[in-house]
Amino acid sequence: MNVPLRQSADKVFTALALLSVVLVAAALVGILLPMMWRGGSAVVFRGTVEFRRMQLEQFNRGDSAAVRAEVEEAAKIRQRAFEILDGFAAGLDTSELETKVKQLHREFGVQIANRDIPQAQATELRKLSKELRDGLLSALEAGSKDQALSHLDEVLSHAGDGRLKGTLASTYFDLARKYHNTLTTVDLNRRGEYAESLKQVMEAMKNLFGPPSGERLPAVTMEQYGATRWDQATQHLDRLLWAETWAGSGEGRTLAKSRVPREEQFAGTELAELFPYVRNNIQAMLRPQWTFYWRYFTDDSMSGHYFGGVGPEVLGTLLVTVLAIAFALPVGVVAAAYLVECARDSLATRVLRMCVNTLAGVPSIVFGLFGLAFFVIYLLPKLGLREGSSILAGALTLALLVLPVIIRASEEAIRTVPRAYKEASMALGASRFRCFVTVTLPAAAPGILTGLILSMSRAAGETAPILFTAAVAMGPVPTSLSQPTRTLSYSSYDMAVGDKMAMLAPHNQFGMVMTLVAIVLLLNIVAIMLRGRMSKKLRGQ
Amino acid sequence: MTQAIHSEKPAAGFTRPLLLSPAQDWGGWLLGEAGRAVLLTITGTSVLAVLLIFVFIIRQAWPFFQSQGLTEALGSTKWYPQAQGQAQFGMLALIFGSLYVTAGALVLAVPIGILTAVVLSDIVPFRVRQAVKPIIEILAAIPSVAYGFFAVLVLAPLMQKHLGLSTGTNALNSAVMLAIMAIPTIVSVAEDSLWAVGRELREASYACGATRAETLLKVVIPAAHNGIIAAVVLGMMRAIGETMLVWMASGNACQIPSPWWDLTQSVRTMTATIAGEMGETPKGSTHYHALFAVGLMLLTFSLVLNLATEYLLHRAKRSSGGHA
Repeated sequence: MNVPLRQSADKVFTALALLSVVLVAAALVGILLPMMWRGGSAVVFRGTVEFRRMQLEQFNRGDSAAVRAEVEEAAKIRQRAFEILDGFAAGLDTSELETKVKQLHREFGVQIANRDIPQAQATELRKLSKELRDGLLSALEAGSKDQALSHLDEVLSHAGDGRLKGTLASTYFDLARKYHNTLTTVDLNRRGEYAESLKQVMEAMKNLFGPPSGERLPAVTMEQYGATRWDQATQHLDRLLWAETWAGSGEGRTLAKSRVPREEQFAGTELAELFPYVRNNIQAMLRPQWTFYWRYFTDDSMSGHYFGGVGPEVLGTLLVTVLAIAFALPVGVVAAAYLVECARDSLATRVLRMCVNTLAGVPSIVFGLFGLAFFVIYLLPKLGLREGSSILAGALTLALLVLPVIIRASEEAIRTVPRAYKEASMALGASRFRCFVTVTLPAAAPGILTGLILSMSRAAGETAPILFTAAVAMGPVPTSLSQPTRTLSYSSYDMAVGDKMAMLAPHNQFGMVMTLVAIVLLLNIVAIMLRGRMSKKLRGQ
Repeated sequence: MTQAIHSEKPAAGFTRPLLLSPAQDWGGWLLGEAGRAVLLTITGTSVLAVLLIFVFIIRQAWPFFQSQGLTEALGSTKWYPQAQGQAQFGMLALIFGSLYVTAGALVLAVPIGILTAVVLSDIVPFRVRQAVKPIIEILAAIPSVAYGFFAVLVLAPLMQKHLGLSTGTNALNSAVMLAIMAIPTIVSVAEDSLWAVGRELREASYACGATRAETLLKVVIPAAHNGIIAAVVLGMMRAIGETMLVWMASGNACQIPSPWWDLTQSVRTMTATIAGEMGETPKGSTHYHALFAVGLMLLTFSLVLNLATEYLLHRAKRSSGGHA
């Protein structure tokens, strides 16, 4: 082959090789960035007044007076929007109006019976009330606008009747006037379309501002508040201002999405006013503010994972991890010490090494199976503990999983302690045990610590071994080690795949995994820095 | 003290053996031996753990093999553990699923991993290498559930949107993610073995007029082949034993894709089956034992692969002589 060809082949090879490094780095950034960014928005975000109200009412946080004032202020501006909506909805929803009219008739009857008036007059009033009711009902049922209007005019002609002054009957006329108003603005033929769209508008309003003040609070915490976050609010606002319709663009073709502004959809009706009003006042209605919600890491979650934080999950992860390390560390360090200091290259060491390697290669799910079969079903019940998954069983399982990591790291650390240290201490007359404890171990401590931190990060992230031994998706905060716990790893899985509610709060979904990844990254960075300092020291700088 | 130094007597302490015999210091000797025994016992924990793992997995899997036999398990693709009265436990589709995504992952991970290892050992200066290594380490440290989370909530919708697939959770998704997870393992082991080849071979090759690519492809990589194969096997172990990611990203449809090369179909692996079904299985049922049988198969796989790597790494160490 000629030289230029060989040289360009060399360059291509180098370029490919560098490209692969770039790919690996890109994979790291591409995976971490969306998770950390979107997860970070669970902690730092623009919280609305609803968020502050929620924090005050659910966690008793914040300046009560200030938040109350803010809520009042916002409610004042919201008031008008709800009025528009209610007015329109009342006119449109004839079935509700019908029940209202019927109820009114009954109540009026009671009122008449309780009033001290002659029998004949009462009968007359009852008759009149019945007449009004029937007039209204037939107006509501009327198919055409003209028919309905004539019925309403008939009802309204009684408005001046002196006998009805100061009684409930005046409400009849209010209803009639309202419906008259609706009829003149609304196209009766499009009533079905309006009703459909109105339902979405009401849904969006509820999502944005929560139930209107004065109404009875829903039982579910999640429904007691409107949009607590500005990003959520803009989404709901979009749904409020735009109607999405799916229209077929032809035979056999997929449906195309089209967006129509609701202002246009409701043009001419009194509801049309609502949309510009909300759009222009949304800031004043929700009062977004940048919020740093650090208590996300300590709060318990509410309504599934809709509100609140990841406190119990963090606690569970720490408990399981620390306990696992506590079990594995002494055993691991002793085993490493034995392998380095005591054992020569005998059969025993070879078997030991092979077992350590085998243990390191066992798939994590098999650890889970073993933990279930041995700790959960066999060992712990024998020791008089409750059968079933528990923090203790999970920690023991994880301890086995990290044991080889600790053994290898400690072995490496002990091996790299300079011989001179050991020889010096022996020469001073120290026994081997004393030499190991007072000289070798302290010198190896940073290396062992690095291994410990890395195995902690491994234990914190593992999910498969604790699936059947320790983890639950929902449950109370554990009060003893024989109870199962929520953990970050398992909850990350559950929120990504299992939990439908979590889909409504993607920031919390990502927040869970962000917390896990942040803990793992933090531990790893500490380990990397520690090792860097150590190697500097070994080089004598 | 001073008197001892200035004395004219011969230094008897130096002539005597440094270690005391058991008879001279029986207390110390006893302590030492007892200490050793205690250390050995504690060290034996890992041996005990391995033994217990085998004993307990086999014990729970045994009833399955007794009642169903190995032929049904390995000869059928029909895994219907919940069927009323007609439960079938054919594990072929599961084994195929595991091998399928692992193979897919290796196709991606092996070239990228080896090339990255080559870059670190031969191309970039030491300082850059020190900067890239933490990236690889962090990639290895990210929990598998986080990879799974990414696969389900970020990668799957992207795939569905841009590749026009009916589902984003499929063999391709899990293969790509598994590849990313296997790369760090491959890189670190392969880099070690490339490093161990030593300067002499490289310098001899350059002296003969070879370019860097030729040196690496024809001299260094062949010389390090044992270590590189070990790296690939270790990457394979990581991929085959991975649970959370494949459970979340592979779609969990118990089938052998047809045509077989269609990576965009859903598959189900052995690990995902255990993870997904153990929670809902009554203890002691055939299904329960069948899942342990699947676990035993996984364990056997990993044991065989483990022994293979040890053999390979052992050979690599021997062939590279003093440089390892």
